[in-house]
Amino acid sequence: MEDGLSTPVGTRRSFFVKTTVFISSLIGISLAVPLIGYIITPAFQRRKKEWMSLGKADALPVGEPKAMDYTMTEKDGWQETQTTKGVWAVKQSNGEVTVFSPICPHLGCGYRWDQQDRLFKCPCHGSIYDLEGTVKAGPAPRPLDTLPSKIENGELLVQYEEFKSGLAKKVEL
Amino acid sequence: MASRLYQWIDQRLKLKPLEQTLLNEPIPGGASWNYIFGSATLFLFGLQALTGMFLMVYYVPATDHAYDTVQYIQHEVWGGWFVRGLHHWGASAVMMAIGLHMLQVFFDGAYKRPRELMWFVGIILLAIMLGFGFTGYLLPWDQNAYWATQVGINMVGSVPLIGDFLVKILRGGETLGALTISRFFAIHVAFLPAAIMFGIMLHLFILRRVGPAGPHDEAKAKAGSETFYPRQVFMDAVVMLVVFGIVSLLAFSVEFPLADRADPSDHSFIPVPEWYFLFFYQLLKYAPGAWGPLATWLLPTLFFTGLLLLPFLDRNPERQPSSRRVVLGAGLGFLIIVFGLLSISLRDLYAVPKRDPSVVRGIALVEQFHCKTCHRIHGEGVNVAPDLSFVADRRPDRDWHLQHFKDPQSVSPGSFMPKFPLNDKQLNDLTNYILTLKSE
Ligand code: FES
Repeated sequence: MEDGLSTPVGTRRSFFVKTTVFISSLIGISLAVPLIGYIITPAFQRRKKEWMSLGKADALPVGEPKAMDYTMTEKDGWQETQTTKGVWAVKQSNGEVTVFSPICPHLGCGYRWDQQDRLFKCPCHGSIYDLEGTVKAGPAPRPLDTLPSKIENGELLVQYEEFKSGLAKKVEL
Repeated sequence: MASRLYQWIDQRLKLKPLEQTLLNEPIPGGASWNYIFGSATLFLFGLQALTGMFLMVYYVPATDHAYDTVQYIQHEVWGGWFVRGLHHWGASAVMMAIGLHMLQVFFDGAYKRPRELMWFVGIILLAIMLGFGFTGYLLPWDQNAYWATQVGINMVGSVPLIGDFLVKILRGGETLGALTISRFFAIHVAFLPAAIMFGIMLHLFILRRVGPAGPHDEAKAKAGSETFYPRQVFMDAVVMLVVFGIVSLLAFSVEFPLADRADPSDHSFIPVPEWYFLFFYQLLKYAPGAWGPLATWLLPTLFFTGLLLLPFLDRNPERQPSSRRVVLGAGLGFLIIVFGLLSISLRDLYAVPKRDPSVVRGIALVEQFHCKTCHRIHGEGVNVAPDLSFVADRRPDRDWHLQHFKDPQSVSPGSFMPKFPLNDKQLNDLTNYILTLKSE
């Protein structure tokens, strides 16, 4: 060391060093916690599920699927967008209403109702389903996905959900 | 473990000599609490950079989204209010740290030969920091942001000959709008950071070339030097912790409010600049008529030129305060003026009773719909319909008023008050105003 240049030694030195390290970790951690939370929380937020009304349940003819749509407000970060979703509603012979997600469980195309053959058909890879949603033909790994639904005061209510495609089981996204 | 890793890297990158130069820099006269201002400034700048990057994650610099995204950060993202608070209070703190740093350098005569260049770069750094403050203020796109920036830009417009040209460049067009916010954003997060990084590096480079000034007392400086590490580093760290503690405490406990969304048509809004511009704001009140434009551009120009030239104006090599009476006296005079103006301004600001902006809009509605052609309010207007001066004493019920404005007959049958076409916001503003009409 140069002439006249001094530096603390021994326990004095180690006190300075240790305190400095302690202080920097303290500042580091108190910043890291809020900042990491800030960045990751929106990524793991689930969409809010609300009961959406599809209209009067009485109007549904038995055994005749009906494409029904409703408009909902979707919140995407700070933006709110209005989207219209279409679903298939079928009044089964026992009077209960099944609501199918409009998305084919194979790879996510939109399927249609074939009036002549009385079957749901997917144009993409040819999956075919009957009125109950059971797979009749094609590569579909599972029956059509049903959505939670209920009837209140004659109104058909549904909760919109999406599921992973291509799996044998229905797994919510 | 850590030392094994260090050894491994050291064998490859030869870090030892680097460590020597970085940490064993001699501090003339030893480490001291006097030298913490520079590192406090650097620390706060780092904090601003870090929180700024995180704010950018959700912020959108567009007139139709900026306000919503700031709301989103403030109210919806986990910890968002804290990150925004740190950035806001950090901005104030960094200005204060710079002020103290400059005062210390000024008092100690540390700007004198051979450190003129360091002072010079320091003044440029100060200007860049003010640029950060000015461009950042607009970004939330609330009323305060909009109108304060309007004022700031108009001040630039008072520069002779090129004023109009500069204003257009700043705004990016005829009016303050989409093009302004996007260029202020780019300046705030890209141009200025690039410039300031370069400036800080230069400032530190010069510091290392000429060495720290040390105490102005020759005898003390001669007594010997101490290495920068570990004692000065320890002192700096303690100060950083204190500064960080204060800023986080403020961010934690004092919410930085967001005014209403910027509304270019609402001329009733009175913006207030950040406190570090307040003394200047106050000064302008004393610049009558033709002096106004001169004060808005000539004074700042003189101020900055004076600062830049200080080391060349003050050629006395002596650093002892006792032999620099004139310069120190001038500095003190300047401080007294600044703080005098600041306190007058603060006193005035607190003297003005703060009115809820919604109530102010309510008052405007009363004028707009000529309510006083029938009603009397505190001595103004006509007594055809009930006097409203203390109406909230009689009717403190908010819903009643809302209903009443929508359809007067429905709540007071036989009333001849007409229905007014008010939207929900107007109804709300008007009711807020009416409910303030009570005796106290
Ligand atoms: S997506 Fe429907 S069959 Fe492939």
